[in-house]
Amino acid sequence: MKAKNLITAGIAGLIMAATPAFAHFQMIHTPEAAMKKGGTIDMKLVFTHPFEAGHTMDMGTPESFTVLHKEKTKDLSSTLKPVTWQSLSNSGQAYETSYKLRGMGDWIFSLTPAPYYEASEDVYIQQITKTVINVGGSPTDWDAEVGLPAEIVPLDKPYAIWTGSTFRGIVTSNGKPVPFAEVEVEYMNHEPMMDSNCFAKEAKARAPQDSFITMGIKANAFGEFSFGIPKAGWWGFCALGVGPVKEYNGKELSQDAVIWINAQDM
Amino acid sequence: MIKNGLIATLLISLFTAVPALAHTPLCSCWDEGDGTITCEGGFSDGSSAQGVIMYVNEKNGTTLVKGQMNEFSEFSFKKPAQAYTVIFDAGEGHAVEVDGEEITE
Repeated sequence: MKAKNLITAGIAGLIMAATPAFAHFQMIHTPEAAMKKGGTIDMKLVFTHPFEAGHTMDMGTPESFTVLHKEKTKDLSSTLKPVTWQSLSNSGQAYETSYKLRGMGDWIFSLTPAPYYEASEDVYIQQITKTVINVGGSPTDWDAEVGLPAEIVPLDKPYAIWTGSTFRGIVTSNGKPVPFAEVEVEYMNHEPMMDSNCFAKEAKARAPQDSFITMGIKANAFGEFSFGIPKAGWWGFCALGVGPVKEYNGKELSQDAVIWINAQDM
Repeated sequence: MIKNGLIATLLISLFTAVPALAHTPLCSCWDEGDGTITCEGGFSDGSSAQGVIMYVNEKNGTTLVKGQMNEFSEFSFKKPAQAYTVIFDAGEGHAVEVDGEEITE
């Protein structure tokens, strides 16, 4: 009996200890961030662990999904279709949609997902996520504050980052900077396969140790952070628990702010 | 007086020179699918292209349509039957050419 309890405690301890190393990231994914011309883009909304293409969580019906272009916001919630996304270890409920980009400029896609109950931590997680797409190089909206309760406002164009340069952002809660906010950074290490709703098996990079899978950085006193981008592709930034709502269904809620950026080699 | 005039000229040339030096002209066109083509123009710093002269030329250089970008930095024209090129003419060295063959829906 004692031994069994100890083992259970040991396993629970392991799970707890492992959790921070495998960070949750809400994705709004499309293959290209900086497009030469407009056209219809496909998007996948997946709640997963992108570095490892690991455990994919079931998403509930999102609270909202919008696009901001030339200062106008459009609700796209009704365009979302449920799909099953295959990770390397399981499958989970995700969403997909497509959207026609017309003309030039920036399009900011924003997702407020339903809070997700994370049983291992007994908390709800709600990752409010932005992905910015540009057509033709005309900058129109990328630096706008969308007005999300938890939001990372970029200081560099999220779609125009050279590999080896930096990305900077300001973490905000209801529009106010969050000093010393905790930010997790993760690389989309397995290519999302748009046609088959799964991650590619091959990893693009290997982490020498767990600190390199989810990198924990902190914002400065002004809520601003910067991060050097060592590799081309998509990078996710997630500011933890910065949103104003702290409780959901009688349990703790972590309202996180996520932004995705895309780097390209020179 | 002469000095002031010189300064004024220098200032004017500085102001007029700024867009040409600092910005990249941008132009993107698409086929509306109803027999018309729409082009949108702009500059890499986000400034408007309103008033920029637009040409739709035949391959031999003959101008078929001449117009201007409107307040939304857009310009629409009837799709020519023959091969054509669209020119967004934001001044010397700052023209963008879009081949009609690359303009799709």
